[in-house]
Amino acid sequence: MNLNDSLRFQYARAVSRRQFLKRSQTGLGAIALAQLLTRDGLAPARADEPRAISPLHPLLPRPPAFAPRAKRVIYLHMSGGPPQQELLDDKPALKKYHMQPCPEELLKNQRFAFIQGRPKMLGSPYRFERCGQSGANVSELLPRLRTMVDDLAIVNSMFTDQFNHAPAELFLFTGAPRNGSAAMGSWITYGLGSENQDLPGFVVLISGGTDPTGGKALWSTGYLPSVFQGVQCRSVGDPILYVGDPQGMSRADRRRTLDALGKLNQYELEEFGDPETLTRISQYELAFRMQISVPDVMDIRQEPPRILEEYAATPGAASFANNCLLARRLIERGVRYVQLFDWGWDCHGTGAGDDIVIHLPQKCREIDQPIAALLADLKRRGLLEETLVVWGGEFGRTSMNEARGGSKFLGRDHHPHCFSIWMAGGGIKPGVTVGATDELGYHITDNPVSVHDLQATILHLLGLDAWKLTYPSLGLDQRLIGPEGDARVHKELLA
Amino acid sequence: MHLSQSHEPMLPRCWALLGLVLMAASLPEVHGGEPGKPVDFNREIRPILAKKCYACHGPDEAKRARGLRLDQREAAVKPLKSGETAIVPGDPDASALITRITEEDETLRMPPRKLGPRLAAAEIDLLTRWVKSGAEYTPHWAYLPPRVARVPVVAHPAWARTPIDRFIAARIEQAGLELSPEADRDILARRLSLDLRGLPPTLDELDRIVHDSAPDWYERAVDRFLADPSFGERWARMWLDLARYADSAGYGSDPLRLNIWPYRDWVVNAFNRNLPYDRFTLLQLAGDLLEHPTLEDRFATAFHRNTMTNTEGGTDDEEWRVAAVKDRVDTTMQVWMGLTAGCAKCHSHKFDPITQEEYYQLFAFFNQSADADRGDESPTIAAPSPAIQIHNAEIDRALGPLEDRLASSPVDPAKLEAWADQLKPRNSPNRKGVAGDVLAAIDTPVKSRKPDQMKTLERHYRSIAPELKALRDQISALKKRKVAVPSLPVMVELEKGKNRVTHLLRKGNYLDPAQAVHAQTPRALPPFPEGAPGNRLGLAQWLIDARNPLTARVAVNRYWARIFGTGLVETEEDFGVQGEPPSHPELLDWLAIWYRDSGWDNKALLRLIVTSAVYRQSSRTTPLAHNRDPRNRLVSHFPRVRLEAEMVRDQALAASGLLTRKLGGPSVYPPQPAGLWQAAFNGERNWAESQGPERYRRGVYVFWRRTIPYPSMAAFDAPSRELCTIKRTNTNTPLQAFVTLNDPVYVEAARALAQRLIREAHTPRDRAARGLTICLCRQPRAEQVDRLLDLYSAELDRFSKDAQAAAALAGSNAAFAAASPAEQAAWTAVAGVLLNLDGVLTKG
Repeated sequence: MNLNDSLRFQYARAVSRRQFLKRSQTGLGAIALAQLLTRDGLAPARADEPRAISPLHPLLPRPPAFAPRAKRVIYLHMSGGPPQQELLDDKPALKKYHMQPCPEELLKNQRFAFIQGRPKMLGSPYRFERCGQSGANVSELLPRLRTMVDDLAIVNSMFTDQFNHAPAELFLFTGAPRNGSAAMGSWITYGLGSENQDLPGFVVLISGGTDPTGGKALWSTGYLPSVFQGVQCRSVGDPILYVGDPQGMSRADRRRTLDALGKLNQYELEEFGDPETLTRISQYELAFRMQISVPDVMDIRQEPPRILEEYAATPGAASFANNCLLARRLIERGVRYVQLFDWGWDCHGTGAGDDIVIHLPQKCREIDQPIAALLADLKRRGLLEETLVVWGGEFGRTSMNEARGGSKFLGRDHHPHCFSIWMAGGGIKPGVTVGATDELGYHITDNPVSVHDLQATILHLLGLDAWKLTYPSLGLDQRLIGPEGDARVHKELLA
Repeated sequence: MHLSQSHEPMLPRCWALLGLVLMAASLPEVHGGEPGKPVDFNREIRPILAKKCYACHGPDEAKRARGLRLDQREAAVKPLKSGETAIVPGDPDASALITRITEEDETLRMPPRKLGPRLAAAEIDLLTRWVKSGAEYTPHWAYLPPRVARVPVVAHPAWARTPIDRFIAARIEQAGLELSPEADRDILARRLSLDLRGLPPTLDELDRIVHDSAPDWYERAVDRFLADPSFGERWARMWLDLARYADSAGYGSDPLRLNIWPYRDWVVNAFNRNLPYDRFTLLQLAGDLLEHPTLEDRFATAFHRNTMTNTEGGTDDEEWRVAAVKDRVDTTMQVWMGLTAGCAKCHSHKFDPITQEEYYQLFAFFNQSADADRGDESPTIAAPSPAIQIHNAEIDRALGPLEDRLASSPVDPAKLEAWADQLKPRNSPNRKGVAGDVLAAIDTPVKSRKPDQMKTLERHYRSIAPELKALRDQISALKKRKVAVPSLPVMVELEKGKNRVTHLLRKGNYLDPAQAVHAQTPRALPPFPEGAPGNRLGLAQWLIDARNPLTARVAVNRYWARIFGTGLVETEEDFGVQGEPPSHPELLDWLAIWYRDSGWDNKALLRLIVTSAVYRQSSRTTPLAHNRDPRNRLVSHFPRVRLEAEMVRDQALAASGLLTRKLGGPSVYPPQPAGLWQAAFNGERNWAESQGPERYRRGVYVFWRRTIPYPSMAAFDAPSRELCTIKRTNTNTPLQAFVTLNDPVYVEAARALAQRLIREAHTPRDRAARGLTICLCRQPRAEQVDRLLDLYSAELDRFSKDAQAAAALAGSNAAFAAASPAEQAAWTAVAGVLLNLDGVLTKG
């Protein structure tokens, strides 16, 4: 048998086994395939290599380390840091001390981004109410979310150690406050692959306005192979950069060009016998399929009017509402991790554009209905049970009014010591509120949850062990939760 | 996740089988001892200890468990407090190291389950035999000086062209594999051209090489490519990843750094004039500290001003200054010594002998420069680089005739007077800002005006005459393209008396300083050169000192990796204990010594490598080689490797004839989709798309914004350059296909290539064949041409029936009348295939 025959034989054997294994419908089959491809010499084979990744199908599903509670993640990130005192962490005492000078002891050894001198306390102008059967305390700014509280686990005791946006976002999404590490979505697709081979496994959706401060590094693969990079899908223009054929080229033209390309590449394979040529042929075929599957999944006009209405989605625009609907469409098709970035939550109160009286209610209106719709929609379709939904920002906000440059608008500075997030869906205990802060909402008094804790908990829900999901780089087995390993899975959040 | 462990709970027995098969597939050289053969500590034992034990029983004193230290023999053979002794040389049964790894009680067995996989049977066997044979330690290979190795004797000495070949051949022969025959001349021409200058050969260059009848045709080709100025561009590309060069400052708002490019040009130029690596090192790390630094010597120090600057609101400059200094330590140690010092900023290194204190001693070298994370990037110097001078002189040359034309444009007296009339009334608002002598001339009655007054009037009129606006606009547009002399950020040492005191920072926290430390190099590494100053200059001298065991090895390994795709040390970024041992240790040492003895001559080193028989091998894979050595670590054939991001771009531009071969100057803005520059907090959102020849310049000149890298480069694995990148990953994804199929830059290249084919050949067959020759740089085979012709006729047929589609794909080429729009569109489709061929995207 000459080399080409031998390669083709191996390839055909791998493919027919793949079909067999696919029919067996087990995750085990899928990973076995990856292994078979590896064993058959189509992938670099090294016994000590962490996760064997098939070059032909790098996103093939891989089984988790233990039984997962969730299969997919939708992470709703409010870039800028939403004020917890206005939304989820009710502080009546703060209202009592409204506009009183801040106690000195709260200022000792503290660094602020903008606050100078001795600021005044800022009570929230908004009313809270205990809602649902769980009695969770939620602000009037989120009326629709109030109707879903029995599905949420609210955490009022998150903290971080970064108080600038970019480092805090990097810390939250890559486990380290500096550039160079891998995003959580990359880790998860590296660990689990994805269930749809015609779509990226890790999709990023941005509401429009500005990008998150941490930039593309927030969905970068860092040291992981770049196939696990988050792929930004856009609602305006090409949904993925360059997915559209040039003007004048029809689908039939594209098919014919790829057929010719495939044949010429086949000759190349025959001549040089490089298995990488096979991979290239398959990647061009995948690209062809993605040219249909990506615009298709991104086309929300296919949704019935009542759904568009429920989400407050507007086809053709870039908006958080559209992205919530897209998140469901992506998840439904088996995408592993969908990351939404919303913007404009940095409520300093320097003007009407970032205060908590005019601007914040506007932001809340933009997200409240779409989020409630997303949760309800996932629930109706039976997807919520295996989809983990997380909502939060990169840090909290101060209990004091910032009053930068004597501003008369109300707003709060960055505050790393406590903030609120919520989680819902796959494996989350519904209707609980976890953790607490002191009466002024300044420090955590109960059950602190670190950023690494949150990451370890998310991985745990997906059946991944955050301590053992590693990748060797720079002489270290790197992992999302950092080298110290001092994270903790918060069992009280688990159903 | 280490598969074998994490899947245990749910995996049936077949997993173990698969694991074994996997092991068998890997090269025997990597692990696994043979019974009876003496155990090699560095190759077989240290990797196990480092991976499985050092985290708790290694150099890091803070995390050391039970007082046991296994990285030093002296400590490992000493009885412990517990009464046990980890290693009793010669007696495995008495050695706790052995009893604990074979312990039956799960809770006592080492390493603890929580910390990672247990030892494999083969590993336990190796350790046992090693203890039995006396448990000798030898220092980590990379910390020992390179050894002069005897060039091996081989079975086919005639095959060897250079000593490199014998080192490679000996191993291939041992493995029972065969060397590959020499590749065809045309293949070699493309390979050489891409490797040495990052561009494919032109048809003329290809022709010259194929038909050169001189016996040294090959060496002549090598020398021509080495002398081509594009050599510097290609190798600067490599260096710029290490230097984390970018056109923006990084972090949240990522402001543009429009003044940094003279550093890039300095690097291009340094490669082109073959600046020896020792000098290259001295200048970049400490050019400012030399005795009489030239202006250009100081440009070089921008190397370490490529660190990021954080301008986000409310940041503490000191925090980010410290971050930049740490980056300088990490980058220096990685680039020159292949060591990952970074871990030691929070705790002593767990694997390599760099303590936390030593990290901050290195930090002290870089802690005395005047920069301090300021928004204005000070200190800077005016950098009138040669490229600026050339650039501006070029514009002046173009301006001259235009300005002459403006000055000598005839003025219509009637129009002039009509204009002057408006300004005659003394209260006319139009008089504002008009020069006194002009007004005086206007106020003088027409008949009394003197000739020079008329000239004054005409001159002024030309500057405002509506009929001359087009010409004036052309002049001002050109003037705008003139480049102001940039203020290049450079290293400047703080004045005496203003020096900073360096402290060890607990957990790396700049707010938590511990004891003060002085500039010093790590004790486990060679001594600081005698008499060298205790500053950056001294550090640079230490790096290039003949006793430094790593600098030359790391450098030659880097060149090897860029040429062959994989380094002799595969972990280019880590020569330390955790790194992979070299595949050919003797060759690595031989090359390192050769390079140093050559006077650190880069071009000579590259010439040596590319004139070797190893390099000249065919890239065809045999089934035997593929099965025995699937990753081609023995280099029994030339590896096929996908082109780097910049080469993909440059090649498409070169093949289509669009490429602008101009050296240096400000970065350029080729087309990218609208709206990508949406960075937060920052008004710099406008990607001012380059026009004309600037649009078609090489990838090395494309504007590099850290948070929003140029998308087609990012798709082909170019890093963001926020931090030093030692080697790029090499992926094969559908997103890459989207770029080369649909990115307007590539569509434009396909159109231009189509026109080129139509212009340069006459029959469809000749055109298809020529396209293949241009892109693959080899004689096309009939079947290849046939497939392209099939595509061409199908597309021609389709576009003949759809004029609108044809016009859309062919673009607006009104001036190009050599073929119908349908023909152009069909050839554009064919050209798109050519630019996407596996053989085109791959160096082979």
